[in-house]
Amino acid sequence: MKITEKMKFEFPPTLAVALRMQANQKTRGKLLAGGTDLMVQWASGVTPPNRIISIWGLPELNLIEISRSEVLIGAGVTHARMARSPELKRHLPALTAAAATVGATQIQTRGTLGGNAANASPAGDTAPALLVTGGWAVLASLAGVREVPLTEFWTGYRQIAARPDEIILAFRLPKKNKARERFRKIGARQAQAISKVMCASRMLMDDGRIVSAAIAVGSVAPTPIRLSAVEEYLAGKKLTNPVIAKAEALARAVEPISDIRSTADYRRWATGRLVRDALEALKTKSRST
Amino acid sequence: MSNVQRTWTINGKQTKLRFPPGRRLLDILRDDLGLTGSKESCGEGECGACTVLVNKEPVVSCILPAGQLVNGTDILTIEGIEKKRIGRVIQQAFLECGAVQCGFCIPGMVVAAYALLIKNPKPSVRAIREALAGNLCRCTGYTKIIQAVKLAATRMPQRK
Ligand SMILES: Cc1cc2nc3c(=O)[nH]c(=O)nc-3n(C[C@H](O)[C@H](O)[C@H](O)COP(=O)(O)OP(=O)(O)OC[C@H]3O[C@@H](n4cnc5c(N)ncnc54)[C@H](O)[C@@H]3O)c2cc1C
Ligand code: FES
Ligand code: FES
Repeated sequence: MKITEKMKFEFPPTLAVALRMQANQKTRGKLLAGGTDLMVQWASGVTPPNRIISIWGLPELNLIEISRSEVLIGAGVTHARMARSPELKRHLPALTAAAATVGATQIQTRGTLGGNAANASPAGDTAPALLVTGGWAVLASLAGVREVPLTEFWTGYRQIAARPDEIILAFRLPKKNKARERFRKIGARQAQAISKVMCASRMLMDDGRIVSAAIAVGSVAPTPIRLSAVEEYLAGKKLTNPVIAKAEALARAVEPISDIRSTADYRRWATGRLVRDALEALKTKSRST
Repeated sequence: MSNVQRTWTINGKQTKLRFPPGRRLLDILRDDLGLTGSKESCGEGECGACTVLVNKEPVVSCILPAGQLVNGTDILTIEGIEKKRIGRVIQQAFLECGAVQCGFCIPGMVVAAYALLIKNPKPSVRAIREALAGNLCRCTGYTKIIQAVKLAATRMPQRK
């Protein structure tokens, strides 16, 4: 018998029921969405919890709402659904590009945005794309709904700002509007590879000048991070070769670790190159992701 | 753990099952139903050997807790696909292109190719490579598999 067969499962029919279960220590369980992180962890020997609360398919977590200036994406929305949505691609192209690189098709049909964010791996591919939007995670509990800026959502290695009684409901993300976005990931191969480094950016240009720059990277720190020093340097600058070179150098100030996937040196170098790539892409008229 | 009861359509047939909700879909297919075409290799979602379609979407059944699949879920395995016209077209193309060596990865490859072709009957090579990116093959080097899916696409029936 496989280990997961011993676990007790709850299938709350609605979010309200799930929140009630999570509110009480006695009924609280480990939230399970698509299981593409958790099932693998349990298969590889991580002790599974006794109690599972399955939130896969909960209608309240599966909404995509597009308003004038923002997009609300439910935590239960799969990577496949994001990657295929022309509307999301128009307003949040870095996010849809990131979703399309998570594992391969079979992972994208089950893996969810909320699961990727809550798993809080520094290598989670959607995190940098979420970060550059300047948006919020929407958290629900019996006590009500609150919003946490994404820049404060990942609080430490594999830690997020949600309390144990909270469920991530959705992500509220400002549209890119006139800005240009880009997402690039470096892994051992194009599919099914955990990122060595990945970078998302959202840049607003006006008349050859950078009005504002948002740049985020993953796999170079305990959490996904914004490169604030680079962003501040770029604001108001003209896109010249010396400016790009300086931005690349500033980006290399990250402090990654060496692990089985890559070395710290390579990651520093690649972070710089990805920032250069994002800036050079702004010079061309080509598609933004 | 107490069992749950589910009624799914598996390869077109209504099937009623009782199982612990954390049981992997792959174990239900292979061990409970004898549908051994789906293979287990990595058991961790990496290789695609266990790929089946759930509501027409390809999933890896080795990391899918089956209790999450509600009543009425439509499941298609290689055993169902090989009875379909498009499934046979794909199999024939694999044979003609010499795309099969040991064969262990092939059921998953055919399922992934089927999932692609029912949505996109005229895929680009890039789309084929992307659709099969989650399926590993230790033997063929992929070239002939990609050729086979290309050949199958030229023979797709007009009507989807
Ligand atoms: C073969 C393979 C390849 C992969 N490749 C990549 C890759 O390239 N890039 C990448 O980033 N990831 C990759 N992953 C990891 C995984 O697919 C993603 O992180 C996915 O988005 C997880 O979503 P899930 O719904 O499956 O999460 P689950 O496994 O169900 O849950 C993950 C965590 O999130 C929590 N959680 C889920 N939903 C909520 C919620 N609404 N509120 C609060 N907590 C919640 C769970 O309790 C758990 O801690 C890969 C996985 C596999 C098996
Ligand atoms: S056995 Fe399921 S993906 Fe490898
Ligand atoms: S033919 Fe042997 S693994 Fe693909």
